[in-house]
Amino acid sequence: INHIMHNGGLYKRPFNEAFEETPMLVAVLTYVGYGVLTLFGYLRDFMRQWKIEKCQNAIEREEQKDFVPLYQDFENFYNRNLYMRIRDSWNRPICSVPGAKVDMMERVSHDYNWTFTYTGRVIKDVINMGSYNYLGFAQNSGTCQEAAAKVLSRYGAGVCSSRQEMGNLDIHEELEKLVARFLGVESAMAYGMGFATNSMNIPALVGKGCLILSDELNHASLVLGARLSGATIRIFKHNNMQSLEKLLKDAIVHGQPRTRRPWKKILILVEGIYSMEGSIVRLPEVIALKKKYKSYLYLDEAHSIGALGPNGRGVVDYFGLNPEDVDVMMGTFTKSFGAAGGYIGGKKELIDYLRTHSHSAVYATSMSPPVVEQIITSMKCIMGEDGTTIGRQCVQQLAENTRYFRRRLKEMGFIIYGNEDSPVVPLMLYMPAKIGAFGREMLKRNIGVVVVGFPATPIIESRARFCLSAAHTKEMLDTALKEINEVGDLLQLKYSRHRLVPLLDRPFDETTYEETED
Amino acid sequence: MNVGTAHSEVNPNTRVMNSRGIWLSYVLGIGLLHVVLLSIPFFSVPVVWTLTNIIHNMSMYIFLHTVKGTPFETPDQGKARLLTHWEQMDYGVQFTASRKFLTIMPIVLYFLTSFYTKYDRIHFVINTISLMSVLIPKLPQLHGVRIFGINKY
Repeated sequence: INHIMHNGGLYKRPFNEAFEETPMLVAVLTYVGYGVLTLFGYLRDFMRQWKIEKCQNAIEREEQKDFVPLYQDFENFYNRNLYMRIRDSWNRPICSVPGAKVDMMERVSHDYNWTFTYTGRVIKDVINMGSYNYLGFAQNSGTCQEAAAKVLSRYGAGVCSSRQEMGNLDIHEELEKLVARFLGVESAMAYGMGFATNSMNIPALVGKGCLILSDELNHASLVLGARLSGATIRIFKHNNMQSLEKLLKDAIVHGQPRTRRPWKKILILVEGIYSMEGSIVRLPEVIALKKKYKSYLYLDEAHSIGALGPNGRGVVDYFGLNPEDVDVMMGTFTKSFGAAGGYIGGKKELIDYLRTHSHSAVYATSMSPPVVEQIITSMKCIMGEDGTTIGRQCVQQLAENTRYFRRRLKEMGFIIYGNEDSPVVPLMLYMPAKIGAFGREMLKRNIGVVVVGFPATPIIESRARFCLSAAHTKEMLDTALKEINEVGDLLQLKYSRHRLVPLLDRPFDETTYEETED
Repeated sequence: MNVGTAHSEVNPNTRVMNSRGIWLSYVLGIGLLHVVLLSIPFFSVPVVWTLTNIIHNMSMYIFLHTVKGTPFETPDQGKARLLTHWEQMDYGVQFTASRKFLTIMPIVLYFLTSFYTKYDRIHFVINTISLMSVLIPKLPQLHGVRIFGINKY
């Protein structure tokens, strides 16, 4: 049974999230797989050491044999013995716009993925299930492209300055006003790089003596920004409100570690959609907790802006909440708007402060004009201000695609993680060999997918991640589903026993140990 | 291929022994080793049990107390490079569930081996030395200790 939450009227619609537990047999076989790979890794290393086999990895020179080694051999073990075997599933070069279908350059390897050669052939019309193209704005024709081309001929491609010096164009001002209107906040600021938005702005907001409560599965940019700031970081279990509340209570009651002084600021870092799990943050509960304990909320809507909500305004719109409750709304233009860059929205005093104190505002080059125009046009399209209903149709098409795709995959018997409404669909593979096999088989059938394994995910939870798009038509989805069905039968990926563990029943236990804070 | 892209775990090695199904796999592995040894025709049952005990303890010593560091690069600039897997488990917190499990397993195996070797003197001496070699490194007092500088770097 799916666990559907209503929680005393905080949620206006059912919140349907499930993470099915790994079947025990699959877990045991996964460990057997890793064990066999480790043993063979040691054997191959032995053969390479004693020159029985040619070592194709980079090795230190003979003259430096007696020096202290620069790199540890063992740290490279996973890379050369496991990653190299399946390396052809990543870094695949594409040679067209990453829309619903994409062209890929074919490459082969004659020495088991140590080197690649291009055959010269281009694989045409691969169905693209890996690009973050949620609303289908990654196009090279249409209104967005024409507007961007006009701006390119007017302003050129580069700005040659940072925002503070000579790089503040009038379209940057227009973009920021538009973003503020789109989100429903007082003011917004745009940056050239989404990763840099997070990592450079969190240090400007919090410092030593502040507390950051960050979700377990936060993105590397949030983690980096939190570490750079020098604040104390405490991690709460993924999307687990009891864990968050306990941390908040402990923080307020006990204060800072040794001196017991009250914290200067408490900042809760969450994401709208978590890209590896496909789960949506429990925003109504987080906002209720934030108000009760008087802390601040930083919401990273990288994947959810444009992709969730009846108007496409993100996770705040999806839950029907007030955007003024979220103190700092951050997002990126890379995913749903088909451009590049990030933004931060909030109160006017906050954004004015960030304009002068944030590193990426002061030092980084401002955004390129055609990219800005792409964002302006696509945002106006989503809001419906360009006079057509294309934006609205895209948002609805994405929601329909999401529901259809997830329902069909579940019916086929795959284990799918995450929320019913999230356009990010992780399909569990578990075993290391199936990661490589799935990527290759799907490419043979002309579908491009992204697969992820250990150590990027926990050791048994390797997965393939599908990113749905409004540009996918139903025929494309049906073709993809048919191929996934075939590959699922071939590789025996249909693990689901249709016994979904309701999320709330996962026991909140204290058995996570973290690094001690320094 | 980056550590922790999907989670903010700095060193995934600390959580491996807590993952679902690994205790069962461990027990099944010992069972498999035992069955393979039992199928060799010229070993008697006490010899097979002693061999299982010795091989299990030697492998445990090698993989948990000798091999240091992580097989992948971690984003914490190598804090765990000089630590064995036992010291890395759960970031050094003592007496967690996995540590207790891995301490009890050799002891249970020792009991079974003593029974099946009918407490013969030579087998007893060998098994006890083997058990001590795998129990002493697990003491919390020996966390990070390298006797005579062996295996320090």
